[in-house]
Amino acid sequence: MKKILLPVIIVGSILILLIFSFVGSYNKLVGLEEGVKSAWSQVENVYQRRLDLIPNLVQTVKGYAAHERETLEGVVQARAKATQTTISPEIINNPDAFAKFQEAQSGLSGALSRLMVVVEKYPDLKANESFLNLQAQLEGTENRITVERMRYNETAKEFNTVIRRFPTVFLARLMGFSEKAYFKAEAGAQEVPKVDFGR
Amino acid sequence: MSLRIFLFVLLFLSATTSSFALDIPPSPTGYVNDYAHLLNAQTKNDLESVLSGYESQTSNQIVVAVFDSLEGESLEDFSIRLATQWKVGQKDRNNGVILLVFIKDRQLRIEVGYGLEGALPDTVASTIIRNEIIPHFKAGNYEAGIIAGISAIQKAIAGEFSAESSPIAYRHRSTFPKVVLLVLFSLLLVDFVRYSFYLKTNTANPRRYSWGGWFMRFAILLFVLRIVFEIFFRALLMRGGHYGSRSGYSSGGFGGGGGSFGGGGASGRW
Repeated sequence: MKKILLPVIIVGSILILLIFSFVGSYNKLVGLEEGVKSAWSQVENVYQRRLDLIPNLVQTVKGYAAHERETLEGVVQARAKATQTTISPEIINNPDAFAKFQEAQSGLSGALSRLMVVVEKYPDLKANESFLNLQAQLEGTENRITVERMRYNETAKEFNTVIRRFPTVFLARLMGFSEKAYFKAEAGAQEVPKVDFGR
Repeated sequence: MSLRIFLFVLLFLSATTSSFALDIPPSPTGYVNDYAHLLNAQTKNDLESVLSGYESQTSNQIVVAVFDSLEGESLEDFSIRLATQWKVGQKDRNNGVILLVFIKDRQLRIEVGYGLEGALPDTVASTIIRNEIIPHFKAGNYEAGIIAGISAIQKAIAGEFSAESSPIAYRHRSTFPKVVLLVLFSLLLVDFVRYSFYLKTNTANPRRYSWGGWFMRFAILLFVLRIVFEIFFRALLMRGGHYGSRSGYSSGGFGGGGGSFGGGGASGRW
């Protein structure tokens, strides 16, 4: 009886330590995943904000540039497409749905930037206060989208790195944590050409 | 000798990395940061005292940064990087605003912290840039433009926050659970030892060791410990006053308080 005691203590302590470290890294993963989710909800917010902005913008532009129908319709259709792609928090675990979402949104970005180019031809419109306000809001929203996408990618990268590290990888597999999808750089859709001095 | 080579290489590396990208200057010590040497000393001092007075009244931090050139970088990119690094605004309110001006590129931006996006939405920021700042800038009067811009920003965000009723960020990162786990673990060890003693002295009846009683006592002990800890923390917080809040804005002088930015604001060219 007494001889059993020492191994029991040792095994017991090891077991307790193991459980502690298990619980600790599980909690860490949960925290990181929540971080990714909240970053994603920020991304959703700013994209939604852009969707909400478009009807007003289209209406205002129509008033001044009615015969730019093609461009305007392009924006409306791209918006409709972006609205159709259902967004749920689960999308971050599904690379295909994620890519589809990004595609729809970048289609909308393209249509909007074409509209903004066309608008340059209408000085009356460009002097209109409510158009200027809408333009400021749109620019601000595009900027927020860039920022939130970047932050989302950062948190996703942190999470993905942790779940692929050595002991954690088993726990992550066991508990069904899956890798989060990234936003990929847009293929020159919104990029302003940069002059690079031989970096 | 090898040390000298090493130092040389280090110097070389640091020189090459810093000369190409437009680096973000270290967190500022003042509200007005004129890296282009555009403002005269008098204006700078006046602005500095206006902005510091404004912060002690309202807790809002408005910071001005004037640069010579973007060096090919995108305005919005640089601006958000600077904002996240400088952390203008209080941590719990995110009430910072940064006015950035790039002289050679003829570009400027108002970057608005999360907490002020309601009071200073993009349209207002854009209107301020178009109607208050750019007319002065076009006339080459940068000082007047910056002053007009700042007073318009102050007007817009007036009443959003006040210096009183400032919730102190306790950042109460409780160490309690860890302490409990430690105590639990050590008590368990103690119990093992007690158990072994019990077995030694009372070999006749090893089953009578009372685990239940032990756990009852243990639970009561934990409960008492918890209360003691709570009281201890309260006392610590009361005594510390500003415990946990890093930037005492009442003390005067600038210190970035940890505010965050989400890309709100507006840009403009002149």
